[in-house]
Amino acid sequence: MNGDELVDSQVIECRGLSRNFGSRAAVSNLEFNVSRGAVFGFLGPNGAGKTTTVRMMVGMLRPSSGSVRVLGLDPILQGEQVRSRCGVMLDNVGLYERLSARQNLLFAAKVARLDAALGRQRVDEALHRVDLWDRRNDKVSGFSKGMRQKLGLARALMSEPEILILDEPTAGLDPANIVMVRELLVSLAQESGRTIFLCTHLLAEAQRICSRVAIMQNGRLLAIGDPNELGEQSLPNFRLRLSGANSDKVRTLSLPGGARLSPLGGDEWRVSVAGPADIEGIVIALVHEGIGIRAVVPEQVSLEEQYLRLVGGETNG
Amino acid sequence: MGDLTTMMWKETSELFGNRRFSVVFAVAILAMGVLPTLALAKHHGHIIAANSLLLVMIRLVYVLLATAIVVAQTAPDMVLHERVGHTLDYLLTTRLSNYAIFGAKILVSSLVGYVVALSAVFIQLVVTALIGGGGWNWLYLGLPIGRVSVFAVTAALSLYVSVVGTFVALRVGEQRAAYMVSVLAIGLLIVPFLLGWLTFSLTTLWVTHAAIIVGAIGIALAVVGLRVFRRDMLVLYLRD
Repeated sequence: MNGDELVDSQVIECRGLSRNFGSRAAVSNLEFNVSRGAVFGFLGPNGAGKTTTVRMMVGMLRPSSGSVRVLGLDPILQGEQVRSRCGVMLDNVGLYERLSARQNLLFAAKVARLDAALGRQRVDEALHRVDLWDRRNDKVSGFSKGMRQKLGLARALMSEPEILILDEPTAGLDPANIVMVRELLVSLAQESGRTIFLCTHLLAEAQRICSRVAIMQNGRLLAIGDPNELGEQSLPNFRLRLSGANSDKVRTLSLPGGARLSPLGGDEWRVSVAGPADIEGIVIALVHEGIGIRAVVPEQVSLEEQYLRLVGGETNG
Repeated sequence: MGDLTTMMWKETSELFGNRRFSVVFAVAILAMGVLPTLALAKHHGHIIAANSLLLVMIRLVYVLLATAIVVAQTAPDMVLHERVGHTLDYLLTTRLSNYAIFGAKILVSSLVGYVVALSAVFIQLVVTALIGGGGWNWLYLGLPIGRVSVFAVTAALSLYVSVVGTFVALRVGEQRAAYMVSVLAIGLLIVPFLLGWLTFSLTTLWVTHAAIIVGAIGIALAVVGLRVFRRDMLVLYLRD
């Protein structure tokens, strides 16, 4: 299958993708697609299997079972074609310390087979874009973590890839540099046609710029979907304002689905339910108990809340 | 070919920024160029030292030694600093082929060895001229066997050590160990002589054959190494 047949289709397809290291499953039975032009957030704590998945996507690692196709191509058998169309920034950026920032980017331009003039032009543009123009002739060995991350990002963009794969591009950055990289990612996301596969811990950023996210833990996919809708997929919250309620009585009420009301202060209570339909049964049960209901308000669950629920409170950043 | 050139450009640019390499390079050239000439002249007098065939040929051993030492340091270092700095991971995410990535390392470290050999020879000639005061003395370059040794044996030896050092460093992951194995690989070449399977001969034909055989072994090892190398396995080595 030729990659060009995949216009307006899925550019990354994982089918039962697994990778074991000895007896440990780093990635287990992963199933997801990424559409062309999407900004796909790949979330999970350290050791979730994100980097292993990225490595299988670019042919650096052979899957133990299952398959991954990138642009319709097999990264192991057609690795050169896959890698020539992807820009990758791994969690360890891997810059040449003995070379200057400009030399690092010139090397990436040569690797991308840009002609000399275009390569120099693109290198200069990239240095301006990541705000490293003034340090262009300095050796990378003297660069801060933030400068390295920005240079790594610039390098990944050098070939103007169809797919940009970024593994923790903001890891270890100070707040100012996180904002800078976030803004760069937002601008990249707005450039049409480019697919971005973003492994990150920054949930607020993922919610803001990703059209779809997947949440991983221990090599398994826990949830996938629109970051704004993901919270509604399971365990929706409702905020209730009750009147004439005895707190002790409310706490011990037997509600449908085993739901429990938790106090928020004053006359406000929160209830988590298995599905949106269950709130009707809860309202009826409360009315039967003679408790007045002044308001039932569905709560928007943020991606961060949903993430914390799914991974059991492990944030890692 | 373009990718190979790109990688060679990168390797060469990095070498110029590598202080450790510069020190090894300079010390090897000076030590193997100046010291043997001065020592031989001191013990035997500069006229004998410059004209005795045996003493002239002894200098050649120092040239080969300089070549081996520098290549055994440089070839593993080219791989190991990429492992430590995670730039090897970066290279593996690019469209560069294994042949370009590792072929360039082998070629550049071989060339470095060759340049060291020629530089050491040049310095020996200059020092001989200076202490002799009788103009240029071409030493072993005036003999066919000397020319074959300087221009062919050093090239073959550089290639052989470079191939061994490059592939050993991919697996070993530690500079000293990789250096030791590379030196050991040179020792392996002597084993057939120690076992009596081969006898050493100081003739031009013999030295020419030796250069061809060592070079052929180097090329064969490089081809086998690159064919056996699996890109998707390297990450596992790097994890170790």
